[in-house]
Amino acid sequence: MYLENACRILWANQQQSGVQPNMRKRKALTLLLAALMLFATACGGSAGGGDNGGSNAGGSSGGSSSSGSTSSGGSGTAQQEAPRKVELKVFLDFPRFKEDIEAYFAQFKDKMLAEQNIEVKIDLEMPSPEQAGQILQARLASNDAPDVYSLHANNIPTFYSAGYLHDLSDQPFVPTLYENVRESVTYDGKVVALPLESLSWGYLYNKAIFRDLGLSVPQTLDEMRQVVDKLNASGIPPFLLAFQESWVPQLMTALSLGGLVSSEHPDWIDKMNAGEASYADVRDIFNIIDLIMNNGTDKPFEVGSAAGAADFANGKAAMWIMGPWMAESMLEANPNFEFGIAPLPVSNDPAGTMINLATSTSLAVSPTSKNMDVALALVNYMLDPQDSAALFEKLKFNPISTVHNYETFPWIAEASEYVAQGRAYLDLKLPNGVTDEQAKLLQSYYAKQVTVEDFIETMDRTWANAVKNQ
Amino acid sequence: MSWSGKGRRVITLLAFVFPAFALYALFVLAPAFGGAWYSFTNWNGYRPSYDWVGLANYVEALRDDRYFRQSILFTLRYVACMVVLQNVIALGLALLVESRRRTKAFFRTIFFMPNMISMIVGGFIWMFLFTRVLPAIAAKSGLTFLDQSWIGDPRYSFLAILILSLWGGAGYLMIIYIAALQSVPAVLKEAAAIDGAGVFGVFRHVTLRMIAPAATIGVFLTLNSSFKVFDAVFALTGGGPGRATQVIALNIFEEAFRGSYRFGYASAKSMILFLIVFVITLVQLWIMKRREVEA
Repeated sequence: MYLENACRILWANQQQSGVQPNMRKRKALTLLLAALMLFATACGGSAGGGDNGGSNAGGSSGGSSSSGSTSSGGSGTAQQEAPRKVELKVFLDFPRFKEDIEAYFAQFKDKMLAEQNIEVKIDLEMPSPEQAGQILQARLASNDAPDVYSLHANNIPTFYSAGYLHDLSDQPFVPTLYENVRESVTYDGKVVALPLESLSWGYLYNKAIFRDLGLSVPQTLDEMRQVVDKLNASGIPPFLLAFQESWVPQLMTALSLGGLVSSEHPDWIDKMNAGEASYADVRDIFNIIDLIMNNGTDKPFEVGSAAGAADFANGKAAMWIMGPWMAESMLEANPNFEFGIAPLPVSNDPAGTMINLATSTSLAVSPTSKNMDVALALVNYMLDPQDSAALFEKLKFNPISTVHNYETFPWIAEASEYVAQGRAYLDLKLPNGVTDEQAKLLQSYYAKQVTVEDFIETMDRTWANAVKNQ
Repeated sequence: MSWSGKGRRVITLLAFVFPAFALYALFVLAPAFGGAWYSFTNWNGYRPSYDWVGLANYVEALRDDRYFRQSILFTLRYVACMVVLQNVIALGLALLVESRRRTKAFFRTIFFMPNMISMIVGGFIWMFLFTRVLPAIAAKSGLTFLDQSWIGDPRYSFLAILILSLWGGAGYLMIIYIAALQSVPAVLKEAAAIDGAGVFGVFRHVTLRMIAPAATIGVFLTLNSSFKVFDAVFALTGGGPGRATQVIALNIFEEAFRGSYRFGYASAKSMILFLIVFVITLVQLWIMKRREVEA
């Protein structure tokens, strides 16, 4: 019968492909991707390797020491010889800057050929940020590490303990870094990455609303309460809440925990790692978190970060716990929008009201790189005294090094003033998974599904597990 | 030489199956066994080396992992609703479509259409409907019950996920039920009618009995796909707020690819999911196969 057959076929298909959980398929996909990439790079790599073998034997400047950029002066005699050919694999997770980066790498190639007679071929890979982590993970785990790759500074401990980071402490770029930026890429006493994007951030406030109501930026928790009352009295929602993506509410813990720990419990992180402290010690973070949540806009779970940027730019609320990385989206929604950055008060001690200094995107060099000298030269070139400033200005990155001498945006200047007064702290280095857990719990906390006690208990356990699994 | 004839036939058959089987083995079976292996290790996806931890992952998942248990309960609730609603709605649609004369093909296409759209896209469509259109309708028409926090309030977001899944899945089952309805012999219905059965009598005692094989498939498909549901929840709520709508597949995904990157542990969880689906569908097939009748 027709139906019987149809059903049998359907059923058979389902048994073949369907019973496996979704995970299986996903994994199969990842593996397939990895296999394809392996295949592709193996083909490319073997060709490059052959070249290197020949040219390394001929080249006089000698193998994999870090003398690449320093030996540039004396190699004038090498002009007659055929250039040494080198292929570098570079993996970056910010495709939005593809054109600028490619142009910058082209300058690097010209420089290397002119100064050191090295013909560099850069195999640049820029997957979308969502996939980049997984692809990089597959690469590293399968011993196919790119020579130079980007990572978030928060992942430095994980990468370092897995042995994927080359020690960059003696590189020429290191002394030019601003001190607080250098600290953010230092781990175990070594500089292990080159910072690219560095942020000084707090919450954002709408300057027009503050001006119209005659409000000044609050420096303590009580002053913040007064500001909130005045805003409520004039019918303007004090805080914009956009909680759909869980990383947005997480910013509240990033700021409140950062301010509180840095000002009142400086050894809290070490104690947490040793299992001697608890989130109960810092439960005061809920003073400000409750204030924000109770005085925010409606239906926060239906507003994503992009929609939130548009709402905020159009004056829907006076303050938003969000960093300046949203500047572009906000100015797109309202080109005349005036906003400022201010530090979030966490207590009645103005000294605890501080700006957060964080490094996000950084560049690392793989210790397994076969062309270490060129890889290091490339990394150093990112902070080249002549060319780097133009690149950083174009990418709208904050200045991070003494080689950067360009004008910044007004809101960055505002945050930098606090930093100059010493009212800033380095973004806390939390173990893997802790940030994500905070994000989820804050969403649940707003939905009234967990209490402060649950939050404390779960976070303590998550932290302990994270330390155990590191 | 009957042996060589038979042998050649087997070899020919194997040769036909081989390309498909090779791909299946390479991309489905091998990773599946790999996952089973990793589920006994503490690999975190980064480290070049890892240790054998025996059953520790399974013990942790079932004993200590509150969120995993919550996600199992949530998924069970979702599966129960889906199995009942999706099959009832699909059968209802099939009956409606079959009762039309000239517009049959048109309605069949309309109801099947959502099945052709990716659930991720469908999720964004419904996200827009839930967050913008429904509140706007509520404001214009005064139907205030529509103005809920469909995505943000766990009570309503469960409904929202159900609505999206039913919208996307009912059309497919409807096709199966239509095929079954068309294959019910008219003689049986006529005979029952002559014996004095009314419309509902005929439906209950003849049609329902005759389409039991389709119901078996329908329930099987729904059970199977609802346990593994991922895209609908991922697109609509992302498991949120917090973990209020987190299904098992999403819990596994987050374990492996977000935050802690515990690949070994996530593999153990997916093996558990596999076993749950395997056992439940086996039982379901066994029970429902016994109740089917042949024409």
